[in-house]
Amino acid sequence: MSDTTRRQKASLDLPLILSCMALMTLGIIMIYSTTSRIPVEEGHLSNVQIQLLAEFIGVVGVVIIYALPYKLFRWLGKKPARYVILVIAFVSLLLLFTPLAHSAKGATRWISVGPLHIQPAEFIKIAIIFFAAGFLSDHPNTINTKFGFGWSFGMVALFAGLVYGISNNLSSAIIIAAIGVAMIMAASNKWILQLLVYSIGVVLIVIYAMGKAHAAQAKGPEAVENLKFRYKRILIWENPSDPQFLQVGGYQTMQALYAIGSGGPQGKGIGKSVQKLDVIPEVHNDMIYSVLCEELGLFGVVAIFFLFGVLLFRCLAIGLGAKDSYGTLICLGVMVHIGLQVILNVMVVTNTMPNTGVSLPFISYGGSSAVFILAEVGLVLRVARENAA
Amino acid sequence: MSAKKKQSGKQSGKQGEADRALQQKIGNKMILMALVMGAAFCFLIGKTYTIMRDNGDKYKKQVLSQQKYDSVTIPFQRGAIKDRNGTLLAYSERVYNVILDCYVMNHSNDDGAGITPTIAALNSCFGLDVQELRAYVAANPDTRYHILKKEVSYDEMLAYQEYIENYNTTINSENKNREEKLPRAYDKAVWFEDRFKRVYPGDSLACDVIGFTTGDGRGQYGLEEYYNDTLTGRDGREYGYLTAENALERTVVPAQNGNTIVTTIDSHIQKVCEDNLKAYDEAHAGEFREGEMGSDNTGVIVMDIHSGEILAMASYPYFNLNDPKDLSMYSDAQVAQLIEREGGEEEASQFLWKNFCISQSYEPGSVCKTFTVAAALDCGAISDGDSFDCKGYLTFGEGEHATTIRCHQRYGDGMVTVKQAVEKSCNVALMLIGQKLTKERFLKYQRSFNFGLRTNIDLAGEMRTSSLVFNENNMGITELMTSTFGQGFNVTMIQTISAYASLVNGGYYYQPHLVKQIQDSNGAVVENIEPRLMRQVVSESVSRLMVDYCIGVVDEGTGVRARPAGYRIGGKTGTAERSGQGKRDYTVSFMGFAPADDPQIAVYVVIDRPNTASQENGTRYACLLCRDILTDVLPYMHIFMTEPLTAAEKEELEEKGKKLTLDEESLSANSVSDNAMTQESTEKPEDVRILIDNKTGYAIDPINGERLDPATGAPIDDNSSIFQDATGQPIEIRVLNGEDEGKEDPRE
Repeated sequence: MSDTTRRQKASLDLPLILSCMALMTLGIIMIYSTTSRIPVEEGHLSNVQIQLLAEFIGVVGVVIIYALPYKLFRWLGKKPARYVILVIAFVSLLLLFTPLAHSAKGATRWISVGPLHIQPAEFIKIAIIFFAAGFLSDHPNTINTKFGFGWSFGMVALFAGLVYGISNNLSSAIIIAAIGVAMIMAASNKWILQLLVYSIGVVLIVIYAMGKAHAAQAKGPEAVENLKFRYKRILIWENPSDPQFLQVGGYQTMQALYAIGSGGPQGKGIGKSVQKLDVIPEVHNDMIYSVLCEELGLFGVVAIFFLFGVLLFRCLAIGLGAKDSYGTLICLGVMVHIGLQVILNVMVVTNTMPNTGVSLPFISYGGSSAVFILAEVGLVLRVARENAA
Repeated sequence: MSAKKKQSGKQSGKQGEADRALQQKIGNKMILMALVMGAAFCFLIGKTYTIMRDNGDKYKKQVLSQQKYDSVTIPFQRGAIKDRNGTLLAYSERVYNVILDCYVMNHSNDDGAGITPTIAALNSCFGLDVQELRAYVAANPDTRYHILKKEVSYDEMLAYQEYIENYNTTINSENKNREEKLPRAYDKAVWFEDRFKRVYPGDSLACDVIGFTTGDGRGQYGLEEYYNDTLTGRDGREYGYLTAENALERTVVPAQNGNTIVTTIDSHIQKVCEDNLKAYDEAHAGEFREGEMGSDNTGVIVMDIHSGEILAMASYPYFNLNDPKDLSMYSDAQVAQLIEREGGEEEASQFLWKNFCISQSYEPGSVCKTFTVAAALDCGAISDGDSFDCKGYLTFGEGEHATTIRCHQRYGDGMVTVKQAVEKSCNVALMLIGQKLTKERFLKYQRSFNFGLRTNIDLAGEMRTSSLVFNENNMGITELMTSTFGQGFNVTMIQTISAYASLVNGGYYYQPHLVKQIQDSNGAVVENIEPRLMRQVVSESVSRLMVDYCIGVVDEGTGVRARPAGYRIGGKTGTAERSGQGKRDYTVSFMGFAPADDPQIAVYVVIDRPNTASQENGTRYACLLCRDILTDVLPYMHIFMTEPLTAAEKEELEEKGKKLTLDEESLSANSVSDNAMTQESTEKPEDVRILIDNKTGYAIDPINGERLDPATGAPIDDNSSIFQDATGQPIEIRVLNGEDEGKEDPRE
């Protein structure tokens, strides 16, 4: 691509910004719809207010990132900086062991920062993107050596493992691993071999987990009762309406399906969901897609997939037109992250895969997710700014 | 700027080439990944659409059915029962169960710091033990429903909620100036479950009439059972439903409260009756048969004779409506005897719950002579001026079927007019009247007086007596003869007083009733229940004659003791042997009306198997009970005294008045029973002054001319007569001289 074609592009990527804003607006509407009937305690912020605050912080982050000099932006991926970021991410994970940690819903995954609860896992996703982008573009050839692959893959595996081990958060670990692996594969020559190995590994894990779950099921309900919840979720996924699982998680899945089904292709209309009324657990959070379907029907579904499609397409286009491979890798990481999270979330809600807690970017209620997703969009916008320069 | 960049680009030219190659490599795979993701997106849109399309109807139903779970029943309030003046006899009150949710306590954000203030609040408002609560909360961390206390009142519940609210407000304002936050009490850890509880403010007042409700709110016995459908309302419901546009609407269908019934009972008269019954029982419990009550059953009915309205209906033994199984008001021996007689604890309770006045039959005895005489007068079989010769016995029938029935007056009453026959309760005269009346007419009038039929009074559990009276087929001459003086057939109290009321009110038979108005829960009248005139049983002139005869009974006949000081009343005594039992047991009774010149109310007192040495003399207690009741009731009903008072009576009334004022100052509840006691004691000295009748040589009671034993002052009972039944088997019958100058009839 020549310099002249680059100049013709606008300095701000409007389709990207507009699709993000549309998604956030839709998200706020859905959060309002699902949470407006929850009474707000005096002196507390409502869910919508918290979400707006988080999104405001996120937008400030976007502006800051966009304003960074490219040298500094590039420097963040260079040798000392990318490791400093990893160390910070590691320390933030360790904060979960301190009194700053905040627990909810039976898990310790948050750190309290004022009114916001931040998930270190979200920060680690960005840290991995910086690390991989920096490492791979700095050492384009090393990656094809055993050492280079081992080092970069090791880092990714380490952090995915840490997130899983410390915060017991499988979905975040999967996403972190997926981002890292996708970026490494993209830069590698032997990517087909890697893909093959990863695929076999995933298949083996799935076979193992399902085998274990089914073995327990064959033994009887008591053995199922004693199963770890991850294995149990496999059984629930296969048969969510089984009364045995009503108390454990089948209920949430079934209610989400009821919501989608009862809304029909036309939907019930904004605000008219029935299933949001204390029926679906985590309705404004991981399960918000079900209410979106119930209220907006097929229109809502197509709309958000279109908006996400635009967003991902802009990431792709900006990445392809990036000034250097560093920018391309950043865009790739962000694209994989957002796309994967959307896919996983919708798969969980539609019971296409076993239940795991993934939020829907821009739509689900969740402060830290909003801040970091916006920050990632900021990275892409920063890359785009250079494209136009 | 751009120049600089180009420069740097040139400087790292070789590196730039390599980087571009890398970028190319990455870009290709990025496109690949984007395509994969796009495909995934399309798949998920399709998947979502499939769910929407294929399961729409099924899931819509599921969603709807889940909403049912969300509905809440709003219980109705059972209607109240009021007396004729609006005093509440029974009502339903909303009470609250205190429910503890341990889960909330143990799974709070402040790690259970709020348990202490919450428990302190429970302790201060409901007096619950702190240690116990703590132990319970610790031992059952996940219990969501634990009843701490049952049936607390609305005020108590409100007090608790205010306590919590005030406490938390104080803590909140305190916490603003504090580093270390004080724990708030949990306002969601304790909640209240409401329900209705039936309350009977009078405890045992009118217990037989009112009846009670079971735990599930169904009426048992009495008005509660009879008017169950009226008192019962309809549960309300709060629920959500989906409109045609699939929008959720929440709707409240309010509960329909039950209707209130206004009874004809007057609580004061009712209380007077009950207190007198209790006083009688206190005086006679264990008197002859040790450990037993004053009688097996004692019943009183007070009725408005011009409408059939029941002013009071009471019986002894009684029970506590608020705790129907409670037997603590009776002594252990009494309870044991009751259980033995009825054959079990359950049966004993049921015996108490049954209303003696309507659900037990007995042979009425001489009270029924009035009906025989009235029937004979009304149909013209006899007339007022006729007289009958009593030789002391009467033989009827022919040959081997010849039967002789003796009068209690061994040597005969001589020539008696109809009036005297009633006054003296002469059996022979009555039998002679019965012969003139004939069987057919006797039975016609008996049915007309409603004997053998239910009165259809609005109470549950009225007894059927159709098989307990004679009909054309099974009534022989002997049966007719005994029936003329009230033996051989069975009646209930309510039948007898209803029939008697028609005798003295001009001949109009009213269906007795207890409810005169039905109101809705707001007090608006739903229905007025008017007196129901069934038929005219005797002519007005006959009714006037009967009033005259009955006044004679109290003025100079067997019922002298029943007259309350200052009033003139009419009435008829009755003493009946309980047939079919080896032992000599009697049912004694007095039926009266007042005042004499313008009858307004009828009073009927029945003592079944009085616990006295000679039961047949129990008739006097029936008379005295009637007198005590009327002494209180007549002034209360604004009926003025018409008769001069003797010095003794004046003194007695004054004392009673003093007692009354005293009682009003202290406690009016026990006034009536105390008065009854006073009357008993003031009367006794007079009883021992014995005069000797020069003619016959018998001791004479100065008040009523009763023959007495000179040594003890107790009435003499040496008059027996032989009664032979149709088979010629002699049956010994006590001739009674209870209250009637020794001229009381046998088998009364």
